[in-house]
Amino acid sequence: MNRISEHPILGETEKGQLVTFFMDGKSMEGYAGEPIAVALKAAGLMVHRYTHKAHEPRGIFCAIGRCTDCVMIVDGVPNIRTCITPLVAGMRIQTQDGVTALEVNE
Amino acid sequence: MKRYDLIVVGAGPAGLSAAIEAARCGMSVAVFDENTKPGGQLFKQIHKFFGSKEHQAKIRGYKIGETLLAEAADAGVEVFLNATVAGIYLDKEVLVQIGAAMEHFKADTIIIATGAAENMVTFDGWTLPGVIGAGAAQTMMNLYGIKPGQRVLMLGSGNVGLVVSFQLMQAGCEVVALVDAAPKVGGYGVHAAKIARCGVPFYLSHTITKAEGSDCVSGVEISQVDEDFAPIPGTQKHFDVDTICLAVGLSPMSQLLKMAGCNMVDDPRRGGQVPQVDENGETSIPGLFAAGDVSGIEEASSAMIQGRMSGLAAAAYLGFLSEQDKDNRLADLEIALDSLHQGMFAPGNKGKTFTKTDEGIAVSQSLLKKGYLDDADLERFIHRSDQTDEKSGIHPVIECTQNIPCNPCQDACTRGCIKVGKTITALPRIDATISCTGCGMCIASCSGQAIFLVDEDYAPGYASITLPYEFLPRPQKGELGTALSRSGQPLGHAEIIDVRSAKTFDQTTLVTIKVPVEQAMTARFYQPETNAAGQ
Ligand SMILES: Cc1cc2nc3c(=O)[nH]c(=O)nc-3n(C[C@H](O)[C@H](O)[C@H](O)COP(=O)(O)OP(=O)(O)OC[C@H]3O[C@@H](n4cnc5c(N)ncnc54)[C@H](O)[C@@H]3O)c2cc1C
Ligand code: SF4
Ligand code: SF4
Ligand code: FES
Repeated sequence: MNRISEHPILGETEKGQLVTFFMDGKSMEGYAGEPIAVALKAAGLMVHRYTHKAHEPRGIFCAIGRCTDCVMIVDGVPNIRTCITPLVAGMRIQTQDGVTALEVNE
Repeated sequence: MKRYDLIVVGAGPAGLSAAIEAARCGMSVAVFDENTKPGGQLFKQIHKFFGSKEHQAKIRGYKIGETLLAEAADAGVEVFLNATVAGIYLDKEVLVQIGAAMEHFKADTIIIATGAAENMVTFDGWTLPGVIGAGAAQTMMNLYGIKPGQRVLMLGSGNVGLVVSFQLMQAGCEVVALVDAAPKVGGYGVHAAKIARCGVPFYLSHTITKAEGSDCVSGVEISQVDEDFAPIPGTQKHFDVDTICLAVGLSPMSQLLKMAGCNMVDDPRRGGQVPQVDENGETSIPGLFAAGDVSGIEEASSAMIQGRMSGLAAAAYLGFLSEQDKDNRLADLEIALDSLHQGMFAPGNKGKTFTKTDEGIAVSQSLLKKGYLDDADLERFIHRSDQTDEKSGIHPVIECTQNIPCNPCQDACTRGCIKVGKTITALPRIDATISCTGCGMCIASCSGQAIFLVDEDYAPGYASITLPYEFLPRPQKGELGTALSRSGQPLGHAEIIDVRSAKTFDQTTLVTIKVPVEQAMTARFYQPETNAAGQ
């Protein structure tokens, strides 16, 4: 598990409501208001996108909205920086492939 | 267009401090920050700060942040969040992106406190998911309660690398190694010692040569480097890790100042491109100031003082503060800032090698190379009558051997056992003529977790050692575990004979272990039976 249940200094992390969202069509859970990237990290997801030409994987790098490595397609909109975009119930997140969605075989 | 007396860009410690001082002088102040939460780096910093009382030493960074926010609100500072300043024009006009909208604001004075950006290094595979910045690690674990990974290798032995390594362990991650291309540890020895005693090996004169993995990091290869920092073939070592954390320095984010037309200088000791400023942070453009990391990489304590200085100077510039009041108040702040600018790690001493402390004691090479003091160092730094078999009961042992600006240990001991003196970079000394009550306040107040209480006469053949402990689960009285040496090597069984926590200890638990008396000066950490340290 990637979530810190209790921290020796900070105690328990305050969390929003537990909500369901969809990652490449699969249903997942996260806390409303936390960055999308955090909810994905909690679920163990590492690859957020593949680069356009070389098709190289990218994931969280700076976590403060500067590097754009973590961009994904959120509710149909590409290039959303998931590390600074809050999770909302029912969101549809897709791995980005270049500038379009990665095809997923379900 | 909305107008203010002062616009501050950046709501970190520098920007908030500036805004508070200016608003208290009666100015209307707007602060813009690109984040959803104010505070800059402060809320990610969960260790007790160094410095002295006037620098809020021994208070954890995030608590200082809470205080600053309350003070800002009190003073009537308007803080705009999700507000990125995209441009700065003549006549002190700024262009701000707030959400999707672009808005113009105008002020009579501007303070730029945009902080710094993390430097990067490249190596084979550096773009793989799982390679992250140290700031990202701090953000994930300390703001959002999530582990950056399970097994982490840290690159960079400056204070950021050391502090974040410790925080990773506090979050429950395993730190497999600390690597730096430099031949010596760059940050405070006390920070290094904290992680060395948990068993983290230090690889100085090493660098990452490859991040392994196809879709994300599954391992890392490091190699030794020669004097020119070139990897030496055949020296590769491999570690299984899922995360590689980079802490290789910071660069001032000074673009806005450049855009505004300030005179800039390239100063490696200040971290790169920085504005030319006077002692209060005023740039070459009158009424435009810079404060904090943007005008030279330091740390949060000095950023706050610089912020306050620039806030007061801006107030005087517009006549909200008389020149005389300004001079009086700035004089005090200058003294406080100056005391932080002393010692081995002073900004002016960057790159210098010290062979001796101010006291003339040869510095510990072991601390610089491996992160911990070796036995020979102890003889130089820790002299006490009880090393000559004399019985004297419980007493503090201070393993703080570098001239750093810090003195909470002195204030903590109301009995006067510990003396740093007026110069806060002096090494703390123990006055063995005053008897120690064993209250533990010094341990809990020590920002570097460098103080231990030792009683060689605890029981026949056994000594007790009280040490600071900031991991979970908190050990329980009666529990059996392993005593670890300064390098994290197991020494043998240790029994927990006391566990103390108190509000004044501020989340630091004082754990007392019973060990064979021979280990009185070697056992410095405790590992529970089933867990590895920090897990
Ligand atoms: C990863 C990391 C770890 C650190 N660890 C420690 C530590 O343990 N102890 C310590 O003392 N110091 C530490 N430091 C250094 C310390 O954080 C800084 O010295 C201190 O925070 C500097 O304060 P500041 O106000 O200048 O900058 P910051 O705290 O960085 O604040 C600047 C703020 O301005 C915002 N900003 C920047 N550009 C714009 C713009 N154009 N528009 C709007 N907002 C903008 C930023 O997002 C940020 O919120 C660390 C720094 C980093 C990066
Ligand atoms: S334990 Fe208490 S009395 Fe002893 S040195 Fe520390 S602060 Fe002073
Ligand atoms: S021993 Fe004193 S000077 Fe050294 S780190 Fe601890 S509190 Fe600071
Ligand atoms: S991780 Fe860098 S922008 Fe999100």
